[in-house]
Amino acid sequence: MKFKKIENNKHEEKIIKKANLEESFDDFIKDEGLLDYNKIPLNKAEIKGWVKWAFWFLRIYILIMVILVIIGFSKIH
Amino acid sequence: MVQKELKDKLDELPIDIKLRALDRLKIHVMRQKYGYFSRLCLLIALIGPGILVMIADNDAGGVITYAQTGAIFGLGFFIPFMVLMLPVAYIVQEMTVRLGAVTHRGHAEMIWKRYGKFWGMFSLLDLIIANVLTLITEFIGITLGMELFGVSPFISAAVATIVILSIQLFLRYYTWEWISLSIAIFNLIFVPLVFSVPHLDWGAVANSFGSWHINGGIRPLFIYVVLANIGTTIAPWMLFFQQSSIVDKGLTVKDIKDGQIDTFIGSFVMIVVAIAIILITGSVVYGTDGNSNLGIIQILSTISDKMGVIPMRLFALGLIEAGLIAAIAISASTSWAAGEAFGWPKSINLPPLKGWHFYLPGLISILVAAVVVLIPNIPLSFLNLTVQVIASIFMPAAMLFLLLLLNDKEIMGEHVNKLWQNISAFIIVGFLIIMNGLYGLSIVFPHIFGK
Repeated sequence: MKFKKIENNKHEEKIIKKANLEESFDDFIKDEGLLDYNKIPLNKAEIKGWVKWAFWFLRIYILIMVILVIIGFSKIH
Repeated sequence: MVQKELKDKLDELPIDIKLRALDRLKIHVMRQKYGYFSRLCLLIALIGPGILVMIADNDAGGVITYAQTGAIFGLGFFIPFMVLMLPVAYIVQEMTVRLGAVTHRGHAEMIWKRYGKFWGMFSLLDLIIANVLTLITEFIGITLGMELFGVSPFISAAVATIVILSIQLFLRYYTWEWISLSIAIFNLIFVPLVFSVPHLDWGAVANSFGSWHINGGIRPLFIYVVLANIGTTIAPWMLFFQQSSIVDKGLTVKDIKDGQIDTFIGSFVMIVVAIAIILITGSVVYGTDGNSNLGIIQILSTISDKMGVIPMRLFALGLIEAGLIAAIAISASTSWAAGEAFGWPKSINLPPLKGWHFYLPGLISILVAAVVVLIPNIPLSFLNLTVQVIASIFMPAAMLFLLLLLNDKEIMGEHVNKLWQNISAFIIVGFLIIMNGLYGLSIVFPHIFGK
């Protein structure tokens, strides 16, 4: 059995009929971000300045919280 | 462009992107029209993710928290306090609108790709664990509410599972959103209920904005309830959900304004509903014996005694709806986040067989929640406690990533946070981090604020 999302061809035709693209289809696709972003690489952020501090804050916060949670849970049981 | 050519070009696109392209063509047509009515139609077509995320945040746990808040503290501090939560919810969630519209990528993908696998995996695991546990609390709300209508937990869990799975699997994004919004409308059921509260003291409601009076004064329970209400207003899954939803809907930088209006409407509705619940229980349940330690069943029973059976059933219906809409949104956020992290095709537009690995994490989480809720003598309080603890560890991380990304010129360009947005966001995020940390600690160490 083949599952298919509910597609309304009539609806599709109506939209296509009304569409009045002044630009090229490729430009429309680009403008609207209708691309497969899995295939577009995204650079890793450079960790410097205040961002570096933010990450250290996060690490310390998580570490403290995990230690406190372990202590707390061990008290419960 | 000739229609035939356009159709052929559309047919060349992957099915999920093709369906999104059709929706965007519709928006394109609407944009070309002028006049107030056309503008309104455009706004209606673009809104959805903001309203959905905010209403879904008034989930079963949220409804219970607001009901208990009213029952314990009556009409006073928590009414203006909830109004204060409106800008908090708006400012945090608005950032996801810009981030999604500018980058066309979800929150999990952005963390994973910009800050590396460690933080990506940390966020994903936290989100999935917290989501599964929260889903269990949603199913508790659904089964509990349905029991008041004489439906057994097994039947209600099974029906809810089938409804949620069908909505996720067989609808394209646009229909999925409108069906979800139609379910979400029932969240407003609490608002007309306020007007059936006997002798509601509107004077006390108005005075609360001037006095911020805390019935019973500041005590450990008060701090705990403040923290619980903040925890209920902003949850980690909301950041992931709204950003992914914006991306799946196909919103672009041109739609940011509408996305902001959408988020504001959602925040407004969320707060109105929260206040309505506090007003109901603050008027009807506050002052009854043992009001500081009432469960939702006792609260519903008091509502039944003082307001009648029909208002009580409507309240229960609101609880069921809250669990259902949150389960839809939370399971969708799990699927989106997993798809984004692992680079799978990720869209509600995907047919079930083609997008099976996208749907699988959300569906498994629903099935786990539905099965767990049926286990007799399940340690509910322990589950709830674990959800809150995980959220309290995870929330600062999720918010910090949000702030880092919104200040990242390389990806945000001109849509980077402005100075006033950064000041308000940092104040709110700092406040939420402190409160969230305290809440997590108060759960693990119940007597941290005294006995």
